[in-house]
This record gives sequence, structure tokens and C-alpha cells, in this order.
Amino acid sequence: MKKVKQATILLTATAMVGMLAACGSASNNNNQASGSPSASAPSSAAPEKLKKISLFQSKVEIAEPLEALAKTYQKETGNEVEVWGSAGDAYATQLQAKLAAGEGPTVFSVATGAEADKFKSYYADLSDEPFAKDIAKDMALKDGDKIVGVPYGVEGFGLVYNKSMVDPKNVTDLASFTQTLEKIKSEGKNGLSLSQEAYFLIGHIINTPFALQADPTGFIEKLNKGEVKMADTKEFQEFAKFMEAIRANTTNPMEVKYDSQMGDFATGKNAMVHQGNWSYGMLKDFGDLGFDVGMMGLPLAGNDKIAVGVASNWVVNSKADADQVKAAKAFLNWMFTSDSGKNAIVNEFKFIPAMTNIEAGELDPLSQTVYEATKNGQTIPWALNYFPQGIIVNDLAPATQAFFLDKKMTGEQFLKNLDAAWAKGAK
Amino acid sequence: MKTTSRVAGNVLLLLLSLVFLSPIYLMLVNSFKDRAELYRNALALPSSFSFQYYSKAMEKMGFLTAFGNSLYVTIISVVFVVVLASMTAWMLVRTDDRLSRFIFLLFVSTMLIPFQTLMMPLMQVMDWIRTHLHIPMLNTREGLIYMNVGFHASMAVFLYHGFIKSVPVALEEAATLDGCSKFGVFWRIVFPMLKTITITVAILDVIAMWNDYLLPSLTLSDKGLRTIPLSTFYFFGEFTIQWNLAMAGLTLTIIPVVIFYVFAQKYIIKGIAAGAVK
Amino acid sequence: MPLLLVFTTVVILPFLIGIGYSFVKWDGIPANPKVFVGFDNYVALFKDDRFLTSAWHTIAFTVLALVLVNVLGLLFSLLVTSKLRVGNAARTMFFLPNLIGGLILGYIWQFVFTDAFKFLGEKTGLDSIFFNWLIDPKFALFAMVVVFTWQMAGYTMIIYIAGIQGIPDELNEAARVDGANLWHRLTRIVFPLLMPSFTICLFLTLSGAFKIFDVNLSLTKGGPNNATEMFAMNIFNEIFGYGHYGLGQAKAIVFFIIVAAVTLTQVIITKKREVQY
Repeated sequence: MKKVKQATILLTATAMVGMLAACGSASNNNNQASGSPSASAPSSAAPEKLKKISLFQSKVEIAEPLEALAKTYQKETGNEVEVWGSAGDAYATQLQAKLAAGEGPTVFSVATGAEADKFKSYYADLSDEPFAKDIAKDMALKDGDKIVGVPYGVEGFGLVYNKSMVDPKNVTDLASFTQTLEKIKSEGKNGLSLSQEAYFLIGHIINTPFALQADPTGFIEKLNKGEVKMADTKEFQEFAKFMEAIRANTTNPMEVKYDSQMGDFATGKNAMVHQGNWSYGMLKDFGDLGFDVGMMGLPLAGNDKIAVGVASNWVVNSKADADQVKAAKAFLNWMFTSDSGKNAIVNEFKFIPAMTNIEAGELDPLSQTVYEATKNGQTIPWALNYFPQGIIVNDLAPATQAFFLDKKMTGEQFLKNLDAAWAKGAK
Repeated sequence: MKTTSRVAGNVLLLLLSLVFLSPIYLMLVNSFKDRAELYRNALALPSSFSFQYYSKAMEKMGFLTAFGNSLYVTIISVVFVVVLASMTAWMLVRTDDRLSRFIFLLFVSTMLIPFQTLMMPLMQVMDWIRTHLHIPMLNTREGLIYMNVGFHASMAVFLYHGFIKSVPVALEEAATLDGCSKFGVFWRIVFPMLKTITITVAILDVIAMWNDYLLPSLTLSDKGLRTIPLSTFYFFGEFTIQWNLAMAGLTLTIIPVVIFYVFAQKYIIKGIAAGAVK
Repeated sequence: MPLLLVFTTVVILPFLIGIGYSFVKWDGIPANPKVFVGFDNYVALFKDDRFLTSAWHTIAFTVLALVLVNVLGLLFSLLVTSKLRVGNAARTMFFLPNLIGGLILGYIWQFVFTDAFKFLGEKTGLDSIFFNWLIDPKFALFAMVVVFTWQMAGYTMIIYIAGIQGIPDELNEAARVDGANLWHRLTRIVFPLLMPSFTICLFLTLSGAFKIFDVNLSLTKGGPNNATEMFAMNIFNEIFGYGHYGLGQAKAIVFFIIVAAVTLTQVIITKKREVQY
């Protein structure tokens, strides 16, 4: 017995030594001795070595250019940024767990709306930073009057269409929209495709009736309290008719994945898809399409505008130590004001900038449409950002799946189900 | 008669395993296709077998570093699990009292807790250990090893517990009479008899730890520490997945484990044969 | 025992803290307030229809999976240890699915159900069997069972093999000499001696099936229309989807108590039947 004990003590000891040995080399942000407490002036002339910071964000597509940008930053300023990575749909959970462990990143991204609300207690005030004044009107993430987040860029969605198959002049209201779908169906093609992913099935398309309310956020609040019903609201009644037309005349979206939706569009089998400018990245992989693409608004209640908004924002973790917060602000300043930073945003990340001091780069046709609509103010807002947390995936999507699977369900019934789902999700 | 049934048996078994492998076929063929080709036909053989996606995946993943990290974490964790769990199980089996039965049930019952409900408190405990005991549990490979051992201990104890019963107590008693210490009895007499189950435990744990995504994703943040599954994140956007790279990355991930498995299997068979001769 | 120390800090302590959280109303953000609400969360969860439905899904799934996985796993292990020439190769092939863990497994199977099944349906004309199972509420659950079985059968096979190889050949030979046929040898000699393996495999499949999450998330996301939402996914959604941390923890505790009661009974029953020698 005694010997067993001795041996096990030895084993644990070895394990501990291993861990302690790692202590020295571990790049543990919070434990590391502070680099330079000396310089305190915010913009002293002498280049100052700032503390190493970490950055964590959700958009996998820009992970590599971001790492490259961090290298450029280090070359130009000597300061270090460690870029962490996460698969897209695991991001929020990981962020939450890391913050819980006091192991949070210094700079991180949050989606506008419910997610931004959720992590509110972590945001450092960015109002006085030089880049803050360059954020386009109404685009900054705010907590009260304070600016706490910088937008990644703007994105837009609507009906993405094949210009050789669809003329926007023929898609202006419910009747002409339905006719177009019927006509294309009679030609053996598919008029419009949604796809099975929750946002592409219902989240985006239901944004239109919300955005067309006089006061979208006010409407959502009333809906949360049960003071209004979608079933009693004019725009939603028409929305239900649109959904009926889509169900009657197009492929069942439950059978369609984003991959096949865009594949069918690229090969001319789908005339339209309800998608955003991001989907161009997918089309690009198909080489020369042989037709031009455009984007228009969903013609609900006479709407002719596409929905444009900010999907993600950069924020600085106020719970990081003061030196790190300072270094983080310096990095954001550099990214949004230096030539290298601005260049990376438009040409490497391929974002449509939401900053007045950054000119758009060379944009793909869909992004170009979004960019122009933004400049001309021809947009409707992303009301879906203000939906209660998790409601699209957990409540609205199941109700919509039921609608597409049960051909007998009426649009009216569908709206009632959506109302019921909303009441549950908004608890 | 006998030979035909044997041939039939072989053929049947082969067919069965081929059906079983069909999803893996999908993984392999689609690691050679670009998006357009995948869209056209996901089932067909690729038009060309070029390894460009493999080399691209390796480059993006920083494969060698990630491989080193995975190897380090997995091997050390498994050794600790095997050594500690086998002894623990042995003691639990041989001391048959209330306490040991309770401890055994404790190990077993915790295997039923979904990890997702443990992860937040776990991170808080690790944070506490770090700030109060100054042992860096987070963002270090050693911390991950520690947690791996904790999470995989229950199953290993459970497996050993079932098999230690088949080791005759008489042998141990004889060895004790010969003047062997308790420790000596375990390592010289008992442990060698547990070879088969030890390899089974090792196989199962190697696979579980090698493929694990969630726990490492919570504990390791720095790029230089990423394990292989962590480094495949580049291919998984929220909606857009780069199938070819993802499938190639996955194939690269599992090849080392397959090799390990084939090797370990051979060893089991040899071990049995050697035991039979004695 | 050092293992107990590790185990306590990594599993037991977080679990106890989790129990504590089940009595508060909290959104899971450390900086935000936790309000003590007593048993409110426990009351609420029994009124949550969706949680109760997910319980039924989980039970149906578990029963089906338990039977299939173990029958197949045992069959495989007997096949590959019988002296067939392809036995060794088959042993590796049956085990391969296990190497594809987590999320990618679901993605690959989506190809099988959407593309391969459609293809088979068109070629064979059996489109009442081969269609996209994932969009039919009933078949989607079977789809989950198929995938889980595919993954776990090789796993249990390994454990059964370890058990079978522990059986002395002499016993089997002696029985053969005495004129016992295959069925008798299996039921009288092999199965009783495999009892430890049965205990382990049944338990592992039970706990694996009850806790199933990865396959659920990547294959069906709980759909269509929540027809395949399982316990673990419901809990995960409550905690991270809606940000109802306390309620999610309370669900996890109730879930744990139920599962523990079922599986521990199973372990105690089968442990009693194990042969000591």
C-alpha cells in the first residue's frame, strides 16, 4: 500500500513539474508580467512597445487575412496580436466559456443585436478613439451614448437573381412575383429557392415585414409582450401569401442546402435565391457563370429596397488589464486608419466598409449593389438583429419547417404558429 | 461443403464491411473535388486525383505543429489514464467495502453527465486553480492533459473494473507470500494479465482524445498550441464549408489513428498467441 | 489517490457548482447578476412541453440504438474472431467509422441521405425506402439511429473482442468434443463469460445514446420541426441559445437523475450476473 502511494505521489509530482515547467513558456496573457508600464501618454511620439493582445472573432472567411494583417502590424509597429480561431457556429459558446474562465480575448467580435446585448458588460468605451468619428452614421454599436463597437462592414440581402432569367420590372408585387414563379416553373426551371438553414429558410425573408413597420424595434417589443400579433398585421398577412406562393411554385427548401441552392443558381436551374452579397463567394467557385447577377428587394407591400445592416462588430474587452485595453485600442486605430489596415479591410476581407474614411475596394456585383444602395439610402434595416436571442433557430425555423412539410397548412395557420413560436421564444 | 460456406462467409463479411465503409468512400472522393464538381455529383469518383487540397489543407492547418501538439497531449494523457485508472480499479475491486463501492458508482455515474453542462463551471474551477494555486491550467497543453485524464478516468476505471475480476486472486496471494509488495504484485502479476483490456482502453482513449474538438477549443487559444482538430477550423464557416479542404483535413487527422489502431490490433493478437503458448 | 483528486477537480466540482446554478436565474455571463429563485427552474421545466417531448425522442432513440448497436457489435466481434480470412481486415473496417468524430460525421451522412439515397431510390425504384430521410419527422429519428449505430457498433465490437479473447480456447474445444453445437456453445459458454463485456457495452451505449449531441447537431439540428431534438440538445439550446443558464442546469440535473437511475440499475443487474473465478 505504502509503495503504491509513493509511486502515485511521484506521478502527480511529475505532472505538476510538467505544468510548472510550462509556466515559463506559456503565453498566458493574464499572468504575463507587464511589458511597459512606463509610457502613459496616449500618443507619445516615441514608438512604444505595447502589451501583447489576443483577438477572437467569428468570421472564418477572414481568419487567414487577419493573421497576415497581425503580422504586418507587428512589422510596422513592433506590437503583437495573437489571432485565435474558431469554427463559425461554435464561436459564441467558446467566447462565453473563455470569458467565464477569465481567459477572454482582448479584442473580440459580437453579432449586432441579441448577442451584442448579451456580452454588454464586457465592452470598453471607444467613444474617444480617433476612429470613432469615422464610423458611418447609425452604424456604430452603442451602449447608451457610448460607442462600444466598430462595425466589420455592411452586408445586404434580398432576392439575388439571374439577369438572363428575371427582369426586376416583372417582380414588383405579390401578383407579378407569383406570375414570375409560375412562368419559370412552366419552363421546367425553378423560380426561387430558399434553403434549409434557419437563417436562409425564414430568418432573412421574414425580416422584410418587420423592417416595413413604422417602428421595427417598437413592434418587436410589443410582439414580445404579446400586445400585437403577426396574424393581425397587414404586412405579415401578405408575407404569408408570399410564402404560400413560394411553397406552391418552387422546390421544397427542406430538400435544399445552401451549397445546392447556390449550385443550382450558378448552373441556371434557380432563377432567384433569397440570399446576401456574401453568397457571391460561393458563386465564384463555379467559374464563369455565363450570366449576370443582380439583387433586388423582396417586393412585399411594394418594397423595392434590399435589407442592409451590420452583422458583426469589433469590441474591446474591458475586463482585460489596462495595458491590454490600451494596446487593443491602438490596434483598432491602426486597422481603421492606417493604409495597410484600410487596404486589408476592403481588399483582403472584402468588406463593404461602414467607415466614412475608407473607400470601397473593387467589389463583386452583389456587394456593389449593396454599397450603392447604402450610399443612396435605398435600404431597409435588419430588424432581425433585434429579435430575442436564439429565436430564429430554435422557434421560427421549426414552425417554418412544419409549414413546408405540410402542404395543407394555410398561410393564416402558419402566421398563428409563428405567433405561438414567438411567444415561447420571447420568454 | 465446408470450403464453400467458408468462402461465402468471407465474401459476406467483406460485403458487409464495404457497405459499412461507404460514408468513408464519400469522404475520400470528395476530398479531391472542387465545389462545382462536388455540386454536380457527390457520389462519383473525382475527375482527377490531385493532392492539391491535401497539401493546401496541411499548409493552412500548420499540420506539423498541430500534429506535434496532438501527439504530445494524447500520449501523455493516455499513459496517465492507463497507469492511474488500472491501479484505482484494482484497489476498488480488491477492497470490497462500502466506500470503494461508492467511489466506483461515483465514477460510473459521472459518465452520464453531458459535457456541455460541465464546461462553464469547469472553466471557472480552472480559473480558480490558476489564480489561487498559480498552476496555469488554461491555454497550456499540460492543463489540457490534466483535464483529459479527469474526463477519461471514469470510463477507464469502469473498463478495468470489469476485467480485473477475471484475474485470479490466488496468484496475487501467492506472490504476496513470496514477499512481493503490494505495488510489486500489481505491476508484476496483475497488470501484465490486463494486457488486452489495457490496449482496448488505450485505443478508445487515443481516439477520443485525438479527435476531441470541444475541450481543446475551450482550453487552448494560442495558434501554436492547436491540436489537429482545432486547426481544421479554417474550413468551417458558419454556412460555407470548404468541403474539399475539410475532407482532406479530416483524412489527414484520422490516418495516424488508423495506423495506431492496426498496430495495436496486431499486438493484441500476438499477445494472446504468446499467452497461449505459455 | 491522485486520480481521485484530478477527477474531483475536473468532474465532481464543476458538477456540484452546476447543481448550485440550477437554483438561480442567470444568463450565463459571469459579470451579470445571479438571482436565487429556489426550485422555480425545476417547476418550470416540467411545464416545458418541448423538453418533455425531447425526453420521449431520447428514450425512443436510446432503446432502438441500444438494441441495434449491441446486436451488431456482438455479431461483428464473433465474425471477426471466427477464423475467417478477411477477419482482420474487417475488424479494421468496422472500426473505422469510430474514427470520424463529431460534427463532420453528420455532414458526411447528410450526403448519404440526401444524395446517395436519392440516387438509390431512382435506380432501384424503391423510392418509398430510399428518399431523403432527414425531412420526414419519423424517418429522421431512424436516420439518427442508423448513424449512431454505424459509429458505435465498431466501438462495442472492440470491447466484445477483448472479452471473447479472454475466454480460454480449451473451454470451447472441450464443448465441441462433447458434441455441443454452435448455438449451445454460444449460449452456455461464450455469453455467460462475456457478462463483463455486456455490462460495459450496454452501459456505454446507454450513456452515449442518452447524451447524444454531436450527431444531433450536425445531422438534423433537431429538425424537422423539432422531431429529433434530444435531451442534450434541448439543454444546450436552453443554456447557450436562449441564455437561460439556471433552467438549463436544472434540466441537466433532472436528466442526470433519470439516466443515472436507469443505467445504474442496469449496471447493478448485469454486474450480478458476472461470473467470478
